[in-house]
Amino acid sequence: MLPHVRHVRPATLGEAVRLAAAPGAVVHAGGTDLLGCLRDGVCRADTLVSLAGLAELRGIQEERGKLRLGALATVAEVAAHPVVRRLLPGLAQAAAVVGSPQLRHQGTVGGNLCQKPRCWYYRGPFHCLRKGGDTCYAVAGDNRYHAIFGGESCYYVHPSDLAPMLVALGALARLAGPAGGRVVPLEKFYVLPEEDFTHETVLQPGELLTEVVVPLPPAGTRTAYRKVGPRAAWDFALAGVALALAGEGGKVRTAQVVLAGVAPVPWRATAAEKLLAEQSLTPAVAARAGEAAAGGARPLAGNAYKVELVRQLVREALLALV
Amino acid sequence: MDNSGTYFVAGALPEAATPTEPLPPWTSTRVVGARLPRVDAYERVSGTAVYPIDVVLPEMLYAGILRCPHPHARVRRVDLSPALALPGVRAAIGPDSPGADIPWYRAQGRAWSRLLDRHCRHQGEEVAAVAAETPYQVADALKAIAVEYEVLPFVLDEEQATAPGAPPVHEGSNRVGEPAVYERGDVAAGLAAAAVVVERTFRTACELHAPMEVHGSVVRWDGNRLTVWDTTQGVFAVQAEVARALGLPLAHVRVIGHYMGGGFGAKLEAGKYTVLAALLARATGRPVKLFLPREDTFLATGNRPANRLTVKLGAARDGTLTALEITSLGAAGAYPASAAATFMATELYACPNVRARDETVFIHAGRARPMRAPGYPQCAWALEQAMDELAGKLGMDPLALRLKNVPRTAQRRGNLPYSTAGLEECLRRGAEAFGWERARRARPGRATIRRGVGMAACFWGFSGGPPSTAIVKLFSDGSATLTMGASDIGTGTKTVMAMVAAEELAIPVERIAVEHADTGTTPYATPSGGSKTVPTDSPAVRAAAAAVRRQVLELAAAQLQRPVEELTLREGRVVTPADPSVSLPMSALEGLQRQGVLVGVGTRAPNPEGTVTIPFAAHFAEVEVNTATGEVRVLRVVAAQDSGRVLNRLTFDNQTLGGVVMGLGFALTEERVLDPATGRMVNANLHDYKLPTMLDVPVEMACVAIDRPDEAFNSTGTKGLGEPATIPTAAAVANAIFHATGVRVTDAPITPARFLAAAGGKRG
Ligand code: SF4
Repeated sequence: MLPHVRHVRPATLGEAVRLAAAPGAVVHAGGTDLLGCLRDGVCRADTLVSLAGLAELRGIQEERGKLRLGALATVAEVAAHPVVRRLLPGLAQAAAVVGSPQLRHQGTVGGNLCQKPRCWYYRGPFHCLRKGGDTCYAVAGDNRYHAIFGGESCYYVHPSDLAPMLVALGALARLAGPAGGRVVPLEKFYVLPEEDFTHETVLQPGELLTEVVVPLPPAGTRTAYRKVGPRAAWDFALAGVALALAGEGGKVRTAQVVLAGVAPVPWRATAAEKLLAEQSLTPAVAARAGEAAAGGARPLAGNAYKVELVRQLVREALLALV
Repeated sequence: MDNSGTYFVAGALPEAATPTEPLPPWTSTRVVGARLPRVDAYERVSGTAVYPIDVVLPEMLYAGILRCPHPHARVRRVDLSPALALPGVRAAIGPDSPGADIPWYRAQGRAWSRLLDRHCRHQGEEVAAVAAETPYQVADALKAIAVEYEVLPFVLDEEQATAPGAPPVHEGSNRVGEPAVYERGDVAAGLAAAAVVVERTFRTACELHAPMEVHGSVVRWDGNRLTVWDTTQGVFAVQAEVARALGLPLAHVRVIGHYMGGGFGAKLEAGKYTVLAALLARATGRPVKLFLPREDTFLATGNRPANRLTVKLGAARDGTLTALEITSLGAAGAYPASAAATFMATELYACPNVRARDETVFIHAGRARPMRAPGYPQCAWALEQAMDELAGKLGMDPLALRLKNVPRTAQRRGNLPYSTAGLEECLRRGAEAFGWERARRARPGRATIRRGVGMAACFWGFSGGPPSTAIVKLFSDGSATLTMGASDIGTGTKTVMAMVAAEELAIPVERIAVEHADTGTTPYATPSGGSKTVPTDSPAVRAAAAAVRRQVLELAAAQLQRPVEELTLREGRVVTPADPSVSLPMSALEGLQRQGVLVGVGTRAPNPEGTVTIPFAAHFAEVEVNTATGEVRVLRVVAAQDSGRVLNRLTFDNQTLGGVVMGLGFALTEERVLDPATGRMVNANLHDYKLPTMLDVPVEMACVAIDRPDEAFNSTGTKGLGEPATIPTAAAVANAIFHATGVRVTDAPITPARFLAAAGGKRG
């Protein structure tokens, strides 16, 4: 049952920021995650600040070597955008495997990047650490869908498919807040539990994500996103990989390898990136990169299979780009 | 007939009404067998169909149920007063309120709990209920009720339940009755004589029914009479239970279930929600609507129990089975229910030496209910994978092994012959339509992504029978009403029954209105479950229409001064085939005009003695497996079904393909997950409980209808379809995965994690 809330629809960004800064206010974009969270009592709000009136947050624009994704651009728009499809096929792939057609048409870029954890304890009637309780139920519980990297007191996995790809592309997040605007690399937008297990992002009260700026990569850059889900649609990654490889032909100059579904944040596989730099993409190199990406994983009792998934997905996705 | 493992184990069926004269089989048909859209297609598609959840009555209150959050707890204290103090709240009842002690979960001659019981044996057990002016006030009121629980230790699966010192779900052992053992021949001798023996243990997951429409009722009292709009598979079953619970005469309980959004076995009985709604309605003097939130339906309305099955097969060199042993351990949940799963194994293949053992145990989780072929998909999962393995060991084609062992008789049922035995035809024609031989010969190769094909067969052990009564009324303009008690649970019952009546009356289906599933206005019918609605009720419908037809012909004979034998019905007219000058529209029948309406009553004749009638099926699947990641894509499925006469090929295909999709969920995605530490379900919602999506459904799905009328069985030649359409699918998929990869995954569902674990070192 949705709780009783006030719904306001500011006409300017400034007003939205002011309203969102009030205690008990939550920003409402597509609502595909928010309304479920409110219904299930995952988060509480007494005011929903709708962004629907803010035309400047909509749309996707190409501009001087950059692609600007408005926070209100829908996931479907990203998947279908001609520039995305031509220059950033990996981003189009990531957008195309989000949720279901309904969710992609209603869900926004901003909302997708700011999703709340999908941990089934968090979403269910469990008062876990992240919700203010004193225990992480996933540790002794059924953790088949939980993190193998970066978990520390809390082991949820970041649910977004767009985020790992955008991190791999070096995207920047533009934020607006009561203290003015700021820009943070998307990679730094996310917070690991060891830093703060009560927040998923660096957003401060009243601060909202207005835009994601993606630098268009140099010619010859290859991008890809591939995930394995529990079923073919309407699901989150068991594991996924976003790749952005700069270089010519079979040669990799620099590689960005960011994993999905395995950590509380989009997880940069630094060891794999290092290994791939200045290498030719042979099957052996791809396999070693897979090994490197899976290295250091700390699986829980029920999710060791994700280590193998990472190994295989990275290898497979790299070879598919040759 | 032995009904083990079917829906109707508990009570004997009521006696049939006096059977009508047996009707000869149709020699040819004009309507029956046609591909006709559903008679209620417009209502269903346009949204004008009123489902129980759509019912809104003047002055109606909303109600909700407070449920125990723990798998096992004792309610120490319930304080309803904070809820009653809230605005809009009109009534609240708890374990001490009048009516809370209504006995519930009757089995083995006693009641195992009460309507609102202080001892809660599963998460989601009912503790209190409230009625208020709005659903929001209900939600607030439920939150306001203060409950103190004493949390007790629990058992969550069959292993924990049978461990020494396990917390008992009920006093005594956690066994639901004694294990059921069936034996014929000498298994030890059969195994000793075998050239090849295979043995393996399998496990299936607990599945949820997850029908589209959640469970619930709207109730209204008129004085001491109760009307219930219920989403149910059987209005008469609900009527009987509600009347007993409330101490009312049957005649004072009217249950209406015109439309209902699916059940799959989870809506065969009255829910506590109906009786709670009735108590709240009585307390407030207002109609009450009580529908469950989706989450609650996952906890408290039934499930397909998980089974652990061990199969041991012995065969001679040529593939002839010499021994078959199967044992099953299944978890019924917190109250008596059957988790039996071995019946099919004792009759699907010819085998002289058989031993089957079924054991059911209690656990602290929601009670199992029949779910689309209770026990059978689990049995197929184990038996048909073991057969596949046996074929491999024998170096035989799996299809050939099955053909080698097609039984001639129902070996567990007095070796009676089958009235129609379609197993062999399903195997052969399915294989042909699938292109089995070619597909099976193709080498899966050693690439990462591999294709393979697999198959599995089944029967469903039941085909219905009396009682069933139907009424047909022919109006003076030649249009007719068909009145029957059966529910249309989404299968097209109304449509095919109208077609049967239309066939007999020689009028178009559009001229027939169907009145059904209303205890106040329709004759008795058993619930629509057990794949028996068509073979049970369609002969009664035919008999009712035939009774009208007879009256029409007699009236026409008098009016036309012709012998009645010369007359027949065609396109709404009385005609004489030999003399084209005779053609009298039914509306011109003087007798009909005078009488206004002709009424025909038809009943279901008893089943013939000396034969067994059951439907058969064989499913064939092709899969693509990514051996590195464990991803499985089902590329195509062919389902060959022997269900007797096909009344309507469109609804036949709907049923079959729906069954296949349900089977894919069993094979690949569906699984209730209970948190081991707290005992609570973690995926009680439609996102985390993974039903197949459209993208999980293969584009290529085909249905081979054997379409051989079983004329000895009943007057429409029909057998059941709903359940055999889902039984073998999952096993066929598992066998295809093995064919593609050489990896035998014994535990359902086959997720990437389970595939990778089973693959172990075999990958590469
Ligand atoms: S993983 Fe995080 S969100 Fe999930 S139960 Fe543990 S603390 Fe809560």
